[in-house]
Amino acid sequence: MDLPVQILNSLNYILVLILVAMGLAIIFGLMRVINMAHGEFFLLGAYTVVLTDQAGLGFWLGLLLAPILVGGIGMVIEYICIRHLYRRFLDTILATWGLSIAIKQLIIIVFGPAGLMIKPPLPQMVSFMGIEYPSYRLFIMAVALVTIGLTFYIFLKTDFGLGARAVIDNRDMAAVLGINTRKMYRTTFTFGSALAGLAGAVMAPLMSCDPQMGLGFFIPAFLAILTGGTGTLAGVLVGGGAVGGADSLISFLYSPVVSQIVVFSMVIVVIRIRPQGLLGTKSGR
Amino acid sequence: MLKIENLHASYGGSLVLHGVNLSIQPGEIQALMGRNGMGKTTLMRTIMGLLSSRSGTITFDGQPIQNLRTHEIAAKGLGYVPQGREIFGDFTVWENLHLGTLKLPRNQRKVPEEVFDYFPILKERKNQKAGSFSGGQQQMLAIARALVTRPKMLLLDEPSEGIQPSIVDQISEILKKINAQTGLTILIVEQNVDMVLETATRCAFMEKGRIVETCSMEDIRKDESIITCHIAV
Repeated sequence: MDLPVQILNSLNYILVLILVAMGLAIIFGLMRVINMAHGEFFLLGAYTVVLTDQAGLGFWLGLLLAPILVGGIGMVIEYICIRHLYRRFLDTILATWGLSIAIKQLIIIVFGPAGLMIKPPLPQMVSFMGIEYPSYRLFIMAVALVTIGLTFYIFLKTDFGLGARAVIDNRDMAAVLGINTRKMYRTTFTFGSALAGLAGAVMAPLMSCDPQMGLGFFIPAFLAILTGGTGTLAGVLVGGGAVGGADSLISFLYSPVVSQIVVFSMVIVVIRIRPQGLLGTKSGR
Repeated sequence: MLKIENLHASYGGSLVLHGVNLSIQPGEIQALMGRNGMGKTTLMRTIMGLLSSRSGTITFDGQPIQNLRTHEIAAKGLGYVPQGREIFGDFTVWENLHLGTLKLPRNQRKVPEEVFDYFPILKERKNQKAGSFSGGQQQMLAIARALVTRPKMLLLDEPSEGIQPSIVDQISEILKKINAQTGLTILIVEQNVDMVLETATRCAFMEKGRIVETCSMEDIRKDESIITCHIAV
């Protein structure tokens, strides 16, 4: 594989990573909940596609269904579990960690522990600028770009986004102005879950779908947020770019082991020098 | 308008309000004075549902509100300007004001023009970051933001704190004007004697989590020692 192809692959990985990290960051920023089950929302998205593929309904229906289904699951989880734990930071980590284990086991019970492949939805190659590139990977990038753009639009330009940012900034004051913070939490948790579900579904054809696949995106997404900072959505872009880019390029140039070492060291250095992250502004909150 | 009976509430684990009784009539500007740490801010936050009460009742407009959530209390018509103003510093002036309209249906989300009549500076600077404002301007923004929610009653917690005297006078004038023109009921927690004398019609004094005395402004003007007796350190 030559470098231009690898750069496109990196970009591909970065964009999907940002999709996952954005959901995680929004949920953390708004509710101070570190959702340890976020990787499993990715997993559920991928298995939605596996399910529709196995049932003969095809990939595209699964792709459409995944964010809706996973968003719905997120909403239910928020209602029966998370909402009772707000302001109990450690408890939410334990609860969502437990949830992540439960979801993984549930997937093993239903689908078995083995990796499952699905039929490539767009098997053609496209050639441009002298290289051959899988058209499905271009499709992934388009989906991720549109979704990231839409998320930015929602959070920066709409009334809902203004309210959400107000809750992130000062929850009590937002409530005083008449904003229903709990409803805001539920909507946001649903939205964040749906983002992870979409990312899982769109990535499913490129990966072997197994019950551990969520972790492969959860950890780098987490590192991306630590690197970029949680105060702003732009921090997720920078963090996702840094972590995703370093990870995939160093894996290609050297080996995945070296890339893990480099990425973790990089994150440690960033946290040591700028605990609030590269773009983070609030250190105390 | 607002009636508080035997209210007990704690803050940070210790009981701060030990049976507060306070009644505010529609259309009046009532001041609440007291030394630091007597529970004034705790009382305000409890009224707004930001702290929960242990016992007692809070009745607003004839309905009990002590078990409602903060946004529901705001929807009943209570506006709150907290101590330290708590404006959204990273947001523009317009965004700060617009936040007060989000509880309304989409087609009614408009900042009322009167707000800019009272605070013309906010219109001039509506695209400026609120964090770049001076303390006095931030206070005006905080009051305007509360007015945008179209309250029947306004709670103000130390609006003069950290603000230069000329602006304090200006804010006093505006509050009186709003009260006279719209009949808005105001409860104002204040340590600034001049501001209380200037704006209020009645004054209650708080000591150790209870209201110890309530008197009219005429009584106080006749005998200012009432104030010094309750708030002098």
